[in-house]
Amino acid sequence: MSTIRGLPPEVKEPGPGVELGVEDGLLCQLIHSPEFNLFSNSVVFESNFIQVTKPRNWVDVSEGSTTVILGVTSSVPSLPLPNILLMANVTWPRGQFSTWSTPSDAPLITLRRILPLKYVELQICDQLQRILRVRTVTEKIYYLRLHKKHPESVFQFWIRLVKILQKGLSITTKDPRIRFTHCLVPKMPSSSTETTPESSLPTSSQPSETLMLLAAEQTSDSFLQLSGRPQLTTDRNTDTAIETDDSEKTLSLVASPVSLSIPMRAALSHSLWEQEDPNEHFLQAPVASSLGENLLRP
Amino acid sequence: MTYAYLFKYIIIGDTGVGKSCLLLQFTDKRFQPVHDLTIGVEFGARMVNIDGKQIKLQIWDTAGQESFRSITRSYYRGAAGALLVYDITRRETFNHLTSWLEDARQHSSSNMVIMLIGNKSDLESRRDVKREEGEAFAREHGLIFMETSAKTACNVEEAFINTAKEIYRKIQQGLFDVHNEANGIKIGPQQSISTPVGSSTSQRNSRDIGSNSGCC
Repeated sequence: MSTIRGLPPEVKEPGPGVELGVEDGLLCQLIHSPEFNLFSNSVVFESNFIQVTKPRNWVDVSEGSTTVILGVTSSVPSLPLPNILLMANVTWPRGQFSTWSTPSDAPLITLRRILPLKYVELQICDQLQRILRVRTVTEKIYYLRLHKKHPESVFQFWIRLVKILQKGLSITTKDPRIRFTHCLVPKMPSSSTETTPESSLPTSSQPSETLMLLAAEQTSDSFLQLSGRPQLTTDRNTDTAIETDDSEKTLSLVASPVSLSIPMRAALSHSLWEQEDPNEHFLQAPVASSLGENLLRP
Repeated sequence: MTYAYLFKYIIIGDTGVGKSCLLLQFTDKRFQPVHDLTIGVEFGARMVNIDGKQIKLQIWDTAGQESFRSITRSYYRGAAGALLVYDITRRETFNHLTSWLEDARQHSSSNMVIMLIGNKSDLESRRDVKREEGEAFAREHGLIFMETSAKTACNVEEAFINTAKEIYRKIQQGLFDVHNEANGIKIGPQQSISTPVGSSTSQRNSRDIGSNSGCC
């Protein structure tokens, strides 16, 4: 029997995303675990948030021991942009981000929702306070403050993600005949004074982003514990679903669900990278690139 | 918590039939009359005891609205059980069952256990679909059938647990290959892989209930 001399086996070193706790984190481990076995070949970009209410007040919604993990991934790894949003709750028996040595002290992570990103709008709501606004096509709105233990560079990743989702990457087609509408929640007339992603984004000439990313590699110690691989404990979530700010709702959704009319450009004009079902892929994805690479590339 | 098996369930059916309310009643034992429209998938889970075995039900609550239907199809894969729900006060939701059933059959394992549920049985005065019609549809298509009320909790436990019992029965009969994850069944951590054979003494707990408790 002949042996084949090939390349030496790939030795994977944890990248900066892992060290920052934004890749290979609790959410990624959960959805890749045998229990879910979802998107197993796709990178998951994730961060811990605290849910807050109301602009300008920013009161924590949940108990001190609960955080929200928000993550994005791709249903198909070759998609150039993420197309899935994941939301999970984490309960920390010994306080947020505490270390654990026994299973009973391990954080309890519960996957709550999977949302196609085409039905979600991500906005940078308050850059100073690191608050993200997540709005679904059904007008469910979450305000999520990035956890204080994340270094600033992690919020810069989210800013970059928002930008990418809105405008695409450099590899994204510039053909004007192809409508690029990744985020398909239509803009509603609003008197809100929130900072829009456009106005809050650092310009390309700003050096801060790259510097932040470099600095991040040196300031990620506090998140090493998150990227460790202790046995995850998953269980049924007995608490309520993530609360939302109902005052923001502009549609009466449940009174007549059948006749509900959602303005949905999504259903009519979604682009290749927005397809969820791999079977629908009759064209080659333009460029294979992982989400992590897209995010980490300055 | 450890479990012997994990069963993946999917809840499907037209929008507004009460899928999310059934899930909430089953997992949290409460009814929420106003519920946001589901997009994508919302998850719930609960442990049940079937024949002395701890079984974790991982429940995928899907969007019923037509606009999200193509997305819903992508989540059928690997489901061991499906709750196909219609609203007994809305004839059209019953008429659409065939289409939902076609989707379910096409995108999931042929062994998947399907429970047909006529929900909102508390609204008897507004009934638009006779119980016999539901029974006949279920019989014709080889489904289990129950009428439920997510509002009063009538038969909600039974619907979920009877589905689990049927899946468990199929495992015992060797109809489900528990090693094939496409069947929506996972063996729990540190569990013996051997499949129980024959009838065994049922060790019921508060969440292991008989199948004939019909309150509706």
